Amino acid sequence: MQSSLLFPQKCKKIGLVLFIPFLVLGIMNLFYEFQFRWLDLPVHLPLKDITTDYNLTNELAGIGILLSLLMIAFSKETKEDEFIVQVRLESLQWAVYVNYALLAICILFVNGTMFFQVIIYNMYTVLIFFILRFNFILYKTSRSASS
Amino acid sequence: MKNTIKIQRAINNITQEELAKLVGVSRQTINTIESGKYLPSTLLALKLATVLHITVEALFMLEKQDWEGIN
Repeated sequence: MQSSLLFPQKCKKIGLVLFIPFLVLGIMNLFYEFQFRWLDLPVHLPLKDITTDYNLTNELAGIGILLSLLMIAFSKETKEDEFIVQVRLESLQWAVYVNYALLAICILFVNGTMFFQVIIYNMYTVLIFFILRFNFILYKTSRSASS
Repeated sequence: MKNTIKIQRAINNITQEELAKLVGVSRQTINTIESGKYLPSTLLALKLATVLHITVEALFMLEKQDWEGIN
């Protein structure tokens, strides 16, 4: 992956700091229907000819989680060399295989509203699998280099 | 493919860290090349050969299994 397509190195830390609050907000919104009142947006429904409030908390949480995961996943490493580029590409391929293998299993065994939840998680799991695999390989090679 | 980086490092009396700095990569990269887990690009192979004062052919050697699968 060309280093020009990567975020600057400091974005990894920013992504890690942002991920936790957005994840908590997402969980609170999904399971406890928590909403920020200041994110209410008046929407006009032309068929019923009424104006109602639409809350944007879940959109904020979704975009926040997505951006923070992208920053963690695609920020430059301290020494961004060709080995790191190869590990990044292999990890991305591995993550896509694992993600869609799990999705295929869920398509077969999960139905109804539970499947809707699976789809929500699946939007993010490809990035999470990538981050875990990429950092695990880097950790493993740095350990073997130290010993 | 096998390599003689470890031997050449010993001859030139330089550490993995120093070699990494000379060719502009991380120590992990040198370590994975040395152990045969990662094959460097042509550019990096040429850089390694240059700083170790040796030819690329003397630094990296093909093995029998590298020819397997070719008709």
